[in-house]
Amino acid sequence: MADGGAVTEAGATHGVSLEVDAVSHEFGAYRALDDVSLRVEPGEVMALLGPSGCGKTTLLRVIAGFLAQSRGAVSVGGVRVDRLPPGRRNIGIVFQNYALFPHLTAAQNVGYGLAARGAARAEIARRTRQFLEVVRMEAYAERLPRELSGGQQQRIALARALCVSPGVLLLDEPFAALDKNLRLDMQIEIKRLQRRFGLTAILVTHDQEEAMSVADRVAVMRGGRIEQLGPPADVYDRPETLFVNNFIGSTNLLPGAVAADGSVRLAAGATVAPPRPAPAGARVVVSVRPEDVTLHDAPAPDRFPARCRLSLPLGAVTVLDLEAEGGAAVKVVRLRSAEGPTLDGPLWCGVREGARVSMFAEDS
Amino acid sequence: MRRIHAPADALYAAVVGLLGLIALAILVGPVLVVLAVSFTSEPSLRFPPQGFSLRWYAALIDPAQSGHIHEAALNSVTVALRAAGVATLVSGAAALWLRTRSGPAGRAVDLAFMSPLVLPMLSFGLAALILLTTIRVRPTLFWLSAGHLVVVAPYVLRTTAASLSQLGQPLLDSSASLGASRLYTFRRITLPIIAPGLAAGAFLAFMASMDNVPVSLFLSSARTDMLPIRLWGMIESSLDVRVAAASGVLVVSTTLLLLAMNRLVNLSRRISR
Repeated sequence: MADGGAVTEAGATHGVSLEVDAVSHEFGAYRALDDVSLRVEPGEVMALLGPSGCGKTTLLRVIAGFLAQSRGAVSVGGVRVDRLPPGRRNIGIVFQNYALFPHLTAAQNVGYGLAARGAARAEIARRTRQFLEVVRMEAYAERLPRELSGGQQQRIALARALCVSPGVLLLDEPFAALDKNLRLDMQIEIKRLQRRFGLTAILVTHDQEEAMSVADRVAVMRGGRIEQLGPPADVYDRPETLFVNNFIGSTNLLPGAVAADGSVRLAAGATVAPPRPAPAGARVVVSVRPEDVTLHDAPAPDRFPARCRLSLPLGAVTVLDLEAEGGAAVKVVRLRSAEGPTLDGPLWCGVREGARVSMFAEDS
Repeated sequence: MRRIHAPADALYAAVVGLLGLIALAILVGPVLVVLAVSFTSEPSLRFPPQGFSLRWYAALIDPAQSGHIHEAALNSVTVALRAAGVATLVSGAAALWLRTRSGPAGRAVDLAFMSPLVLPMLSFGLAALILLTTIRVRPTLFWLSAGHLVVVAPYVLRTTAASLSQLGQPLLDSSASLGASRLYTFRRITLPIIAPGLAAGAFLAFMASMDNVPVSLFLSSARTDMLPIRLWGMIESSLDVRVAAASGVLVVSTTLLLLAMNRLVNLSRRISR
C-alpha cells in the first residue's frame, strides 16, 4: 500500500512510511533546521524530543506542509509530498491546544475533513459515528468544544484527524495541556489507537518521559540537528553526547581524570572502571544515573564519601540529595523498601554493578 | 467561600454605586424627558408636559404635514444602510488582511482606518465638501454615503478585529490539513467565527451614520435633506413638538434594534472588549 493509508472494512487505516531527507530551513539568517534526515517505518511511533527552539516544531510544520523548507525532501509512503498542500499529503495532525472549531459540534468537527473533501452525507454520518465510537465519545456528539473537558477535546481532535484515514499522524505536544493523571490515560489511549490502526506517528514533545513511554524510537534534537536517534532504552543507557545525557533522564555528572592504568580517578575520591578506554591524563566527566548509585556504610577504593542532606519520599522510591567532598551534589534514587545504611551517619557511594555509566571528555 | 468585608470595601462599593447612579441619570434622564414631552397636548416643548395626547405623533405620521421629515428620514436610512453595508465589506476585508500583518504596512493601514475616530469630523466634512467642489460634482446621496462610509468604517474594523482574535492560525492550519480549500475554510470556519463581529460592527456603523451631523452638515443640500439636520432646522425655527415625537420614534426603534442585536450576537460584550 505504497499510495497511502488504505481503509479496510473495519475502517482501520494502515500507516505508511515517512521519510525526511536532508531538510534544512532558514528563517532569515537563523537556521532552524540543519540537514535533518530521518525515516519512520510504517506503524512506528517516533518522538521528536528537545528543548524549545531545537527545531522540532519547525520540522513538524515542514512535514505537515504549513511551512515550505528551504532545502530537502519529504516523502510519505515513498511519494514526495513537499510540493503538495497540507490536505493532500496523507497526513493527519493533532494540535497542541487541539484547534477544534469552536462553533461546530463534536460530531461536525470529526466529520469536517470528509465534508471538506465532498464526501456523501450518509458516508460522513457513518464515519463520524464510527470514529466517535473509536474514541468513546458517542455520548458527546452534539456538544460544542467549550462544553468538553481537556481530555474529551483531545479525543475529538484525535477522531477528527483519524476520520480522513491519514497514513501518518502528527502529534504536536499532545499532552502538554492535560494534568498529570489525565496525561497518562491519554498516552495509553493514543498508544491503543496507534496499535489498533497500525498508524505511523510522529510525536513532538519536550517531555522526555512522554517520549520514552509512547515512542518506539526517539530523535533528540538540538540546534536544528538530530543529536541522537534510537530506541528509548538505547538513548537513555548509551547517550552519545553530554547534551543527550543531560536531557534524557536525571543524572549525576562526576568530574575526574584518567589514571596511568586506564582507570578513572573521580574528584570526589573514588576509582572506577571507565565504560570505554581513554588516554591517560584525559580530563573526563562520568555520568551515573541516580538509580545506579549504591550506598554503603564502609569505605572502599571504588567508593567516595558523602553525607545526606535531604531525603524526599516519592511513593515507591525515595530521592536522596547527598553532598560529596568539595560540595558536589549527588542525587540518588532507591526503593523505599531497600535495605541500606542509616542516612544520619557518614556514607560511601559506589556504582551499581552492571550499571550503564557514560563518560564524556570534560570540554564536550 | 465567604469574603470578609472591611469598612473600606463597603465605602468603595457605595462610591462606585453612587457614581454609577449619577452616570445613569445623566445618560438616560434626558431621553426620558424627551419621551415624556413628546406626549404633551400643548404646542410647546415644555417639561413637565401639559396633558397627554398622541397628536404630535399623528402630526409626525401625516404625510401632508410632515412629508419633508419622511423624505429626510428615508434619506438618512438609505445613506446609513449603504454606508454600513459597504463599511462591513471593506472593514471586514481590512480586518482579515490586518490579522497576519503586524509590520509597518499593517500599522499604517490600521491607523488610516481608525483615524476618522480621532480626527474632528467637522474638518473632514469641510475637506470632503472642498474636494467635491474641486472635482465639480454636486453632493448627492451617493457622496453623502461615501462621506459617512469614511467615518463609520472604524467601528466595523474594531469589532471584526476583536472577533478575529478567536481565529487562531492552528484553526486555519487544521482546516487545510483536513483537506479543505481556502474558500471552504473561509465559508465554514472564518466567516462563522467573525460573523457576530461583523454584525455588531454593521449595527454600530448604521447607528453612527443615522445620527451623524458634522459630515451631513457639509454634504447635504436642500434635495438631500438628512433627518438630524432637518430636526435641528425645525427646532431652530419653531420649537416644533414633532421633533420630540421623532426623537421618541428614534429612541424606541433604536432600543428594539439593540435588544434584537443583543439576542443575536451579544453586542454589549463585544463592544466592551
